[in-house]
Amino acid sequence: MTPYILHVGIIIILFSILSLSLNMAVGMAGLVSLGHAAFFGIGAYASGLMMLEGLPFIVCLLLSGIITSLFGLLLAIPSLRVKDDYLAIVTLGFGIITVIVLMNMGITGGPDGLTGIPQASVFGFDITSKPVYLVFCVSILAVMVLTTSRLKASKVGRAWAAIRDNDTVAMFMGINIYYYKILCMVISSFWAGIAGSLYAHYTGYINPMTFGMQTSIMILAMVVLGGIGSIPGSIIGAAALVILPELLRGLEANQGIFYGALLVAMMVLRPQGIMGRMKVTDIFARGGS
Amino acid sequence: MFWQQALNGVVIGCVYTLVALGYTMVYGILGIINFAQGEIYMYGAYGAVITLGLTGNLTLSVLVGISLSCVVGVLLERVAFKPLRGLNPLISLISAIGASIFLSSSARFIFGPDERPFPIHFASHMYNFLGVDISDMQLIIIGASLLLITLLYVIVNHTKNGRAMKAVAMDAEAAMLMGIDVDKTYMFTFLIGSALSGVAGILMAIYYNTTYPTMGTLPGLKAFSAAVLGGVGSIPGAVVGGLTLGVAENLGAAYISSGFKDAFAFLALVLVLVIRPSGIMGSKR
Repeated sequence: MTPYILHVGIIIILFSILSLSLNMAVGMAGLVSLGHAAFFGIGAYASGLMMLEGLPFIVCLLLSGIITSLFGLLLAIPSLRVKDDYLAIVTLGFGIITVIVLMNMGITGGPDGLTGIPQASVFGFDITSKPVYLVFCVSILAVMVLTTSRLKASKVGRAWAAIRDNDTVAMFMGINIYYYKILCMVISSFWAGIAGSLYAHYTGYINPMTFGMQTSIMILAMVVLGGIGSIPGSIIGAAALVILPELLRGLEANQGIFYGALLVAMMVLRPQGIMGRMKVTDIFARGGS
Repeated sequence: MFWQQALNGVVIGCVYTLVALGYTMVYGILGIINFAQGEIYMYGAYGAVITLGLTGNLTLSVLVGISLSCVVGVLLERVAFKPLRGLNPLISLISAIGASIFLSSSARFIFGPDERPFPIHFASHMYNFLGVDISDMQLIIIGASLLLITLLYVIVNHTKNGRAMKAVAMDAEAAMLMGIDVDKTYMFTFLIGSALSGVAGILMAIYYNTTYPTMGTLPGLKAFSAAVLGGVGSIPGAVVGGLTLGVAENLGAAYISSGFKDAFAFLALVLVLVIRPSGIMGSKR
């Protein structure tokens, strides 16, 4: 395999982790986020900064997930008061503010970002070569898919589904909707942080613009394309939206035309996505808001 | 210094208000957030700049700019929103985001990525009121906004179409039973909202002397914040929200930190949604 194909493979895996983590919130619990890339960025910066301080990679990876989930908690608690489109707007605001803060803080290197992030090694083994890193990322995605599908089938997953379908009814059935909503945001942002850490050590360089609204929307587009609520769908969506721009290389600047049209067309023609079985109109039935 | 910054804030606030009115009317009547309002604003600016470059006629180009905004707005409603009517607002929101990306990327494709200056240079006179400098362009922006807000007030309260809008906002089904053409009312709402955004875009293209494909993104998001701040769905709320946001942002940039200028608007947005989702002037949702 050429380094180029390996590179595309690694990026697909990283975005699969991101889209699956967003799908956990959007598809499983009905919490739409337009600021998911902010968590990706927080994870990347946390990990990069800790690594520059000399902490070992594995510690950085785990800690960046935990730190990001704390930010998830920070966003989740006030967000409990709003839902649906208003929640989407709160998360959008959070995403924009995060980028502005990263741009203006001294420790994050401002608009120039962080450079020279040391590369990854696990227990003394170097995992910097592309094939090894790809295998490492795939194994993390595998862990994530396994835990997520277990979670989806568990009591927690059923509580999320109940909240997604109708949170008032869920509350009357005795589900602590606040607890489960916060739990969902925390787990979702944890995985986004992990993806951020993996990304930071892969590229060795990060800057705030990578984690802006466009990336948030791209991750959402992956979820929507693959199918809201579908685990394989998230991975297919991520693969499709990473590979397509690579095929359309010459059109780089105009990719947005395609993305935008895709989002509108999916919503109008097939809102359940490629892999979705349910109609999204069932998933997001207009509840008695 | 304080009053000067406050005045500059009022000028920007007027532009936010014009765009916020579009958001608020669409939300009040259709219950959806039209994320692409900022792109409608951008198309208005481009329509005017290009026509002016070709013909040199200012009145004609302003009219062409506004018409282009209206066409984009109405097409948007037909293609991206109409098929989704009655579904969860989230689906319309995602569709609107898609439309917004599509429109700004298309503009980049059609008009090119470079910034275009406004073809006519307005000789700028400064007037001094009680120690505050105000340019004639600033006076034009404030005057045009006042005029349009008054016009909107008259249209909504004293014309048949305007009263139909109010009826549909209250209860679309009942309005339909009373013989109001709901479809036409939706289109009319988009038409008026888009025209206001188009004017805002043209005014800003002159004020900042530049037009570029992503010029609508940030003002669009901020105008949305303004609409939410004032109480989304309320027309007086959009005016109060727009002016408050413009002034607060400029004072914040002057006295706290200019790097965080854009963060103030979004911080206000998040705080308002979380603490008082109905906004300053709004009723409970």
